[in-house]
Amino acid sequence: MKIIVDNVPIECKEGERLIDVMLNNGVEIPHFCYQQDLGMDGNCRMCMVEIKGAKRPQIACNTFVCEGLEASTKSKSINAVNRSILELELLNHPVDCPICDQAGECKLQDYYMSYGLYDSHLTTPKTKKGKHIELGSGVVLDQERCVLCTRCVRFTSNITKTGELGIIGRGDSSRVAVACGHELNNPYALNVVELCPVGALTSKDFRFKQRVWFLDSAKSICHGCSRGCNIFIDYNETKYTKESIYRFRSRRNKQINKSFLCDFGRLSYKELNEKVISTPLPMEILKDLFKSEKKVAMVSPSMSLQQLQSVQIFCKNHEIELFSLPYIDESFGDDWLKTNDKSTNFAGVKELNISVNQDDFENSLENANLIINFDHTLLKEREIKDKKVIHFTTTNIKIPSEAVFAIANFAHESGTLINCDGIRQEFYTTKYKNEVPTLRELLKRRP
Amino acid sequence: MSFSFNDENSLKIEHLAKRYPHKKALLLPLLWLAQKQEGFISDEAMTRISEISQMPFMHIYSVATFYTMFKLQKKSKRVVEVCRTLSCELSGSEAIKKHLLENHSDTYEIVEVECMGACGGAPMCTLEGKYIENVTPQMLDEVLNAN
Amino acid sequence: MQTKIVSKNFEIPHANTMEVALQNGRYSSLGKLFSHTPQEVIDIIKASNLRGKGGGGAPAGAKWQLASDYEGKKYLVVNADESEPGTFKDRQIISKDPHLLIEGIISTCYAIGSNTSYVYVRGEYEEFSDILQASIDEAYAKNFLGQSAKYPVEITVHRGAGAYICGEKSALLESLEGNRGHPRLKPSSPEPEFYFGEPTLVNNVETIASVPFIIENGAEAYTAYGTDCSSGTLLFAISGHVEKPGVYEAEFGVSMWEYIEKLGGGVKGGKKLKAVIPGGASTPILPAHLVMEAKLDYENLKSLGSALGTGGMIVLDEDASMVKVLKNLLRFYHHESCGQCTPCREGTSWVDKTLDKFIAKTATKKDLEVLKLVSKSMNGQTICVFAPAASGVIDGFLKHFEAEFLECIK
Ligand SMILES: Cc1cc2nc3c(=O)[nH]c(=O)nc-3n(C[C@H](O)[C@H](O)[C@H](O)COP(=O)(O)O)c2cc1C
Ligand code: SF4
Ligand code: SF4
Ligand code: SF4
Ligand code: FES
Ligand code: FES
Repeated sequence: MKIIVDNVPIECKEGERLIDVMLNNGVEIPHFCYQQDLGMDGNCRMCMVEIKGAKRPQIACNTFVCEGLEASTKSKSINAVNRSILELELLNHPVDCPICDQAGECKLQDYYMSYGLYDSHLTTPKTKKGKHIELGSGVVLDQERCVLCTRCVRFTSNITKTGELGIIGRGDSSRVAVACGHELNNPYALNVVELCPVGALTSKDFRFKQRVWFLDSAKSICHGCSRGCNIFIDYNETKYTKESIYRFRSRRNKQINKSFLCDFGRLSYKELNEKVISTPLPMEILKDLFKSEKKVAMVSPSMSLQQLQSVQIFCKNHEIELFSLPYIDESFGDDWLKTNDKSTNFAGVKELNISVNQDDFENSLENANLIINFDHTLLKEREIKDKKVIHFTTTNIKIPSEAVFAIANFAHESGTLINCDGIRQEFYTTKYKNEVPTLRELLKRRP
Repeated sequence: MSFSFNDENSLKIEHLAKRYPHKKALLLPLLWLAQKQEGFISDEAMTRISEISQMPFMHIYSVATFYTMFKLQKKSKRVVEVCRTLSCELSGSEAIKKHLLENHSDTYEIVEVECMGACGGAPMCTLEGKYIENVTPQMLDEVLNAN
Repeated sequence: MQTKIVSKNFEIPHANTMEVALQNGRYSSLGKLFSHTPQEVIDIIKASNLRGKGGGGAPAGAKWQLASDYEGKKYLVVNADESEPGTFKDRQIISKDPHLLIEGIISTCYAIGSNTSYVYVRGEYEEFSDILQASIDEAYAKNFLGQSAKYPVEITVHRGAGAYICGEKSALLESLEGNRGHPRLKPSSPEPEFYFGEPTLVNNVETIASVPFIIENGAEAYTAYGTDCSSGTLLFAISGHVEKPGVYEAEFGVSMWEYIEKLGGGVKGGKKLKAVIPGGASTPILPAHLVMEAKLDYENLKSLGSALGTGGMIVLDEDASMVKVLKNLLRFYHHESCGQCTPCREGTSWVDKTLDKFIAKTATKKDLEVLKLVSKSMNGQTICVFAPAASGVIDGFLKHFEAEFLECIK
C-alpha cells in the first residue's frame, strides 16, 4: 500500500500509525509526547499534519494510514499551526539552553530553530515552578523546562508499573513530581532521562560533564547480561585528553530492548574508562611458562565469537584445555530485560563447543600448574595457591599473579554476540586508537 | 502515624466496593471519606487508599491534587467560600469578598471559588460546604457570628 | 410563557419524597414503558427528536441506539456535573424532583439494555446529592430499583470533587474510573463512550428527566412543543443583571428578549441591556441588537454566531465593562483547564494574564494581536472543545466590543 507525504509516495501497511510511517521513512515530524515504545498520548499537539479531505489539521500520532491518504507537513498553513503550538510550548520555558545539559539533543531547541521562533510574542510573566528537584536514582527534575509530555510518567506507570512519577496540580500549574517521602526507585529509572525530549530530566551522573555535540557514538551492545541490549557508546577524545566514554544510550531494537536499558547496564560504561596496568613483560615470556606440563585456560563468556575463536585456536595450538563458565547471579534477573546470566555470549561459548563443565574445570585446575585466564571475572578474584596464573584482562587484577596483559575492552572491539534468545548481533568499536592492544592482536604475536 | 478508616466508613467502603466494576473506581469516594473523617487528606490516608484501591501512592496523590475540593493540608479555621464567577461578580461578589476579608478572616478562612451552580442566587457563599445564596454583608454577619 | 414539562413538580412541597412523588404522577410512565420492547422505546425517543440538554444538543435517540447495538454489559452515566457558569438547572431536578430522574434512568436503562447506572454529581452539590440519594434509597425500598424490580437497575451516586472539565463526558468517565479528569482523544467515527472498556451512554440529567413525559404521552406530545429542529422544552436559566434570576422552563424557539422581560423580570434597576451570554459561559456573547432578534433554539442562535449551549443566560446591563467580563471568564478558563494539552494549558493562562494588562490599562497594540493569535491557536488543535470554547468566547468579545479593548491600550 502507498500513501503520499509531502508529494512523495511512501510504501506502508494499512493501519500503521502515520507518525510511525513518517519516522521510519525519515520524514521530519515534530513530536514530544509520542514515543514508539511508549505509545501515543496525544497531549503535545506538535505532530499536527494536514490530511487531504479533513476539515482540520490532525495529529499524526493518532492517524492511521489507509490507501490514498495524502498528508502534508510543510504547507504554509500547517507550518503556522505547528509554529503557534511551539510558541505556546515555549511560553513558560526558561530558554536557558546555554546552561542546559540537554542542549544539542533537545527537541524544543531543534524545533525552535527550525520554526525560527526567535521573536517571541511573550509579553506576560512566566509561570514559576521548581528547579533542581532530586527525584531519586540520580535523576534531577527542572519543572520549568518540562513540556508535560508525560513520557516519564507513562514509563513508570505503563512500562515498569512502579508508578513513582505522576502529574500533580492542574492546568498551567501541572507539574511532574514524585510524592513527598517517596522517590523514583526502580532498576530502570534512568530511562526517563533518555525519554525526556527536553532538558527537564537529567542524570546526575552525566550532568555538565560534556556538551553532547562534542560526542561521537559507536553502535555497540551492553555487556551487562545475556540480554544484549543495543546501545550507543557516547565518547570523545580531545587534544588534551585520551578517549573517554561518557555514557551509554539505548539504541532502539524492537526485538530486544526496545528503547530501554537497565540502570546497571547503563552505568556499566564506567568500567570501560579504567586504565589497566600490564606487567612490563613481553609476550615472549609465555614461551618459557608454556613449557610447564599441565595448563588450563578459562575464557570469559562475554567475549565475542571472534575472540572466543582465536582463544580456542590459541589453546589448541598450545595444547591448553579451555573452559568457560557463565556468570550466574540469581539476584540480578527480573521478568523484563535483566537475566541471571550476566555473561554476554554464553550461547556463543556453547556454539563453539567450549567446555562449560564446572566439575571438569575444577579437576583440571587441581592438576594444572599453569592457569591462563582470558578476562574471566571469577579467576580475577580467586587466589589460587601454588600455581602460576597469567591474565589477559580488561580490568586491573588485584591478586598476585605471574603476568598481566592488558587487552582492549569491548568498546574498542568489534564482533558478534549471541544473546539469551539466540539472537546474533554485531557490535562496533569506537574510532580512536586505543593504547592497549586487542586480544586478537596480542594472540597473533605468538609466544 | 498510621491511618485507618473508622468502623462506619469501613462498612461504607465494603458496600461501595460492590457497586463498581473495579477497585480503582473507589478512589474519589475513598478520598471523600478520608476527608470527612479527618477534615483533610493526610499522606497516611492516601497510603491506606492506595492499598484499598490497589493503585500506586503517586496515583492517589496525583488524582487528589487535580480536584480543588480535596484538601491535603489540615485546616486551622473553618472555611467560607465566595464564588467569583461572572453572575456572582455582576451581583456584587467583590464587595462580599472584601467584607469577609475585613470582618471575618480571623475566624474563617476566606476562599474564592469558581461558579458553584447557584448563579440564580448570586452572590453566593458557602459555609463549610453549605450553600448560602443571595448573600448580603448583614446576612453574613448574622450567620457567621452565630456559628 | 412557561411550559412546565420537567419542572411540573418543582413548586410542590416535598416532591422529593416518595409519597408526594407518587401522588404527583412519578413512576406512572413505567407501565407504558414495559409494554414496549426496548427498541420501540428507542424509536419513540428518536421520533420525539429529544436532544441532549447538557450543552451539545446531540440527538438522544441516535446515542441510545449506538449503546443499545452493543451486546453484553453496558452502563448509563448521568451527567450532573453542572459546572458551566450561568447554569443551575440540573440541581433543581435533583433536589426538587429526584424521582423524575430516577424514573428516567429506569426507562433509559431498559431501552439500551443496561442494569447499572451512575449519577456523577459535582462535588459542591453535596446537599443536593444527599437529597437524590435519599430518594434513591426510597426507590430501592419500593422495588423500583434493585434486583427485585420489574427491570433491575442499580443507581450509584458518585460525587465529583471540584473540576469543571469533569462535565466533559470522557473526562467524567476518567474521573469515574478513579483518574484525573483528563478528556480522552475523540474517536474518528461515532461510537458510544466506554467505562472500563464497556460501552456507556452519557446523558445530561435534564435529558434523562425528559424521558418519562415522552414515554407517557408519546413522541408527538413532545414535538408539539418547540420548533421543527429543536423539539420540546428546556429548563432555561437566567442570571446576572436581571430582576428575577432563576430557572424557568420554556419551549424552544421563544424570543430571548421576551424571556428576559417576562420571566427574568427585565434588566435590573430598569437599566438598558448591553449584551447577553446566551447559554452558559462557553457560548459567544450577543450584543443587545442581536438579542432582540434572537430565538431560544439551537439553529437560530447558531445563525447569530453563538450557540444555545445549556440555555443558561447571563444578562449584562449598559454599565458592564466588557474587559472586566472577559477577564472574569478567562480567569475561569485558566483555572479550569485540565492542563493536558499544550495549546489549552499554556493558552488559557496566557490570555488570562494578557487581560490583566487591559484591566490595568497597560496593554499595547501587540497584546491585542497576541490575544487574537492565541485565541486562534486554541481553536481546533486540542483534545477536547474546552479550549475552542474559550477561543470562541474571546472572538465574540473582540468581534462585538473591540472598541472597549482599544480604550485600554496605553
Ligand atoms: C468543557 C465541557 C464541559 C461540559 N460540562 C457539562 C456538564 O456540566 N453537564 C453536562 O450535562 N454536560 C456537559 N458537557 C457535555 C458533555 O460532554 C456531554 O456531551 C453531555 O453530558 C451529553 O449529554 P446530553 O447529550 O444529554 O447533553 C460538557 C462538555 C464540555 C466540552
Ligand atoms: S519531565 Fe520530560 S519526559 Fe517528563 S513530562 Fe516533562 S518533558 Fe516529558
Ligand atoms: S538488561 Fe542486561 S544487557 Fe540490558 S542494559 Fe541491563 S545489563 Fe545491559
Ligand atoms: S482542551 Fe484543555 S481541557 Fe480539553 S483536554 Fe486539552 S487541556 Fe484539557
Ligand atoms: S506527538 Fe502527536 S500529539 Fe504529541
Ligand atoms: S457564578 Fe457564582 S454560582 Fe454561578
